[in-house]
Amino acid sequence: MPELASPARAVPALTIEDLTYSYPNTTRPALSDVSLTLGAGEFALLAGRSACGKSTLLRAACGLVPHFHGGEIEGSVNVAGIDAIATGPGELAAVVGYVAQDPETQIVSTTVAAEIALPLELRGESPTSRARAVEEVALALAIPHLLDRTVDTLSGGELQRVALAAALVTRPQLVLLDEPTSQLDPVAGDELIWLLRRLNEEWGVTVLLAEHRLERCLAAADRVVAVESGSIAFDGAPRDFLTWAQDADPALETPAARMFSMAGIEPLPTGVRDARRTLASTDPLTEGRRTPSERLVLFGPTASQRDAPLPAKKLREEGVRLPSTPTLSVNDLWVELGQGDTPRDVIRGIDLRIEDGERVALMGRNGAGKSTVLRTIAGLVEPVRGKVEVPGGIALLSQNPGDYLVRERVGDELLGELGIAALRIVGMEQAIDRDPRDLSGGERQRLALAIALAGRMDGDELPGLVALDEPTRGMDRARKQDLTELVAELAERGAGVVVATHDVEFAAAFAERVVLLGDGVVIADGAAAEVLSGGWYFATEVARILDLPGIVTPEQGAAALETDSG
Amino acid sequence: MRSPFAYTPRPGPLQTASPGAAVAYLGAFVVVSFLYSSPVVLAAVGAGVLLAGTSAGARAALGAALRMGLTLALLIVAVNALVVDRGETVLARLGEWPLLGRVDVTGEAIAAGATIGLRATVAMVAFAVYSACVDPDRVLRALRPLAGRSALTATLISRLVPVAAADAARLRDAGRLRGPGAAPLGRATLARRLLAGSLDRAVDVAATLELRGYGLEPSTSSLGSSRSTSDSPGGCVDCRSRYDTRFYAVATTILVAAVAGKLLGADGFSTYPTVEMAVTSTTVAVSAVAILAGIAPWRRQPQRATRPHQAAGAAPPEAPNA
Repeated sequence: MPELASPARAVPALTIEDLTYSYPNTTRPALSDVSLTLGAGEFALLAGRSACGKSTLLRAACGLVPHFHGGEIEGSVNVAGIDAIATGPGELAAVVGYVAQDPETQIVSTTVAAEIALPLELRGESPTSRARAVEEVALALAIPHLLDRTVDTLSGGELQRVALAAALVTRPQLVLLDEPTSQLDPVAGDELIWLLRRLNEEWGVTVLLAEHRLERCLAAADRVVAVESGSIAFDGAPRDFLTWAQDADPALETPAARMFSMAGIEPLPTGVRDARRTLASTDPLTEGRRTPSERLVLFGPTASQRDAPLPAKKLREEGVRLPSTPTLSVNDLWVELGQGDTPRDVIRGIDLRIEDGERVALMGRNGAGKSTVLRTIAGLVEPVRGKVEVPGGIALLSQNPGDYLVRERVGDELLGELGIAALRIVGMEQAIDRDPRDLSGGERQRLALAIALAGRMDGDELPGLVALDEPTRGMDRARKQDLTELVAELAERGAGVVVATHDVEFAAAFAERVVLLGDGVVIADGAAAEVLSGGWYFATEVARILDLPGIVTPEQGAAALETDSG
Repeated sequence: MRSPFAYTPRPGPLQTASPGAAVAYLGAFVVVSFLYSSPVVLAAVGAGVLLAGTSAGARAALGAALRMGLTLALLIVAVNALVVDRGETVLARLGEWPLLGRVDVTGEAIAAGATIGLRATVAMVAFAVYSACVDPDRVLRALRPLAGRSALTATLISRLVPVAAADAARLRDAGRLRGPGAAPLGRATLARRLLAGSLDRAVDVAATLELRGYGLEPSTSSLGSSRSTSDSPGGCVDCRSRYDTRFYAVATTILVAAVAGKLLGADGFSTYPTVEMAVTSTTVAVSAVAILAGIAPWRRQPQRATRPHQAAGAAPPEAPNA
């Protein structure tokens, strides 16, 4: 019996042909000769390094390019049969929804219900159909309880869901998402990806998702499109993408694929379940249901585990004497935020001690209190109780490095030799005459850190505490590696370094200790390998696959697998 | 951190009332405060607004508005006392001042300043209650059919003002976090950076509005919509509330009482050349109306027992074929 296809679904959701586009006042095209067709109901992942053209491609698919951004464009873009270059984003709003990286910038109403209803209201939908559509999309995204809230009371994850609801409420055929999980904790990020998968399967919505954290969404995707310098470098199935990335751009490999590749195991896995299945068929490591401790006894700790430095807390517990004056000492810290009728304790009796040269990841879900702890240590928030001591001072880089950059020349941001020394530490002394606006995202972050560090050095030494708040938002793996090296260098110069982050893979790479916060209290504090292998959400992909205590990075995982096969 | 003036959804009568009813109700207090100079009536109007705000659950907004209003009132009193030399009761002779000339502080000038300050405080408190209790989205929705472009501007402003305030707070924090070897952040630099950031934000919000279809004509853009014949496209499901009649009735009562009182001499107050105040029964009556108006809309109506099965403890009647 022939398959019945509705006329609307027979048309591809997105057809791009020979698209070349340059932003105004630029010489190099952001997109070059791009051709791409997305069939109705596909879930495609857009991969690529920072500034490779992923966002521009999404903007072209929703009409913002060229209608909003201007510039020169050649080729054609069709969304569900509508010419996106001839029509504007307003006309395309009926068939395409767009969700940007920062939910703050895509909310225009005061209440959640009004925000979701706005696209329908602007299209002249009746009040009753608006009310029904809002109710249905809220149910689909599990946010009916948010409808009466004002948007300024929502967390980042809630705000991102509201933005997604506003994009979906018109029941578009195509949804475009630009790194929607970059500001979300692992829990909210995973939920969002599987929510998209469910919408894709149940509503038939075509999804084009740009992401850096591929390990989070590769398993949900039907297809991967890799963009490199404005051109499509790969277009195929997720497993084929991993094989391609192995040689073409290892920075795009997922941790699981890297582990398999280092251990010489084929095929490369697209996710945790895939990896477990492959290992179960080839490897006694995951055979049966041995407990982690049984397996550790069976296979023993790896060399990297044995050589990993013990965090200061553990050393203290083991009776090793540490310097009497730590870099940071926090005792019984209580912080209350909110005003008027609803103040609440955001931090509830935290104790924290960080030594010179220690690298600590401060983790926890959105709203757990990570940023508040750092802001309190830096003196931006007054605690209601407790004591904070930072004898060597603190240099805090907040979530928005751009807030530190207020002048038009790098050199004007800093004073004399002290400024030059700070630029040298972050490797930016060659950029002294450049305009901060012309710097890349990573360079801007380094410059902001130099501004926070300026004048706090003692020769080449860096006493005191360096704190970074969510520094990996929107970063590709190559830039995260640069940041890992910078953190190591700061610690080598004597600074205690604490980084508030959601990024478990980054934490596994840079930290020797992880402090996990939950609702304003410390719920775990120990060696990074120990904490990041002891849970589900705050665990690396390798830890979730192998479930072995202390095995969190691809290198450790590959070593464990090789030990086993050897 | 949330502004105390930010709208907070609550299931109260003022929050669920239509924007027109809420504006009429709170606006009536402001109109009376500008109609009268009598401190008795002004104090009563202020008490009425405070009662209304308290009943609506806007205590944080009231507190903040009172602090700001009283500070402003003190400033007005001080300025009026220094720049106005009318009045017969000289309290202090401060000699010759540059620009101001001879400065004599009179009791009448202080009283006049206090009256203006009290009026300003009442207006600020009423606006604070409006800001905390009236959903700006519903106001904009009501305005949109009347003035689309103005509503667009208001939408942008209503979104950008709190965003700019948050940006300013973040930039100030970043300024405090600059190392001792970094160039200090002056006010002019901060303002310039804030302006540039606001322009970027405005571009982002404008892009979002474009994507939501703000520039479309409703008649040409309702693709795939399923409109019921009973619906009007410009209509609004939540534009009316069962409390609207109460707010309109109370607003009308205050205004009628105030105008009638004014005609009957309830505003017997003058400040120059000497302070004279006449508190008549009409003044007391207008003041009482103003105070009662602050609580009247929140009065619980007695439950009507029109259906026998709705009486307490009574079970609903069974279906005939059950």
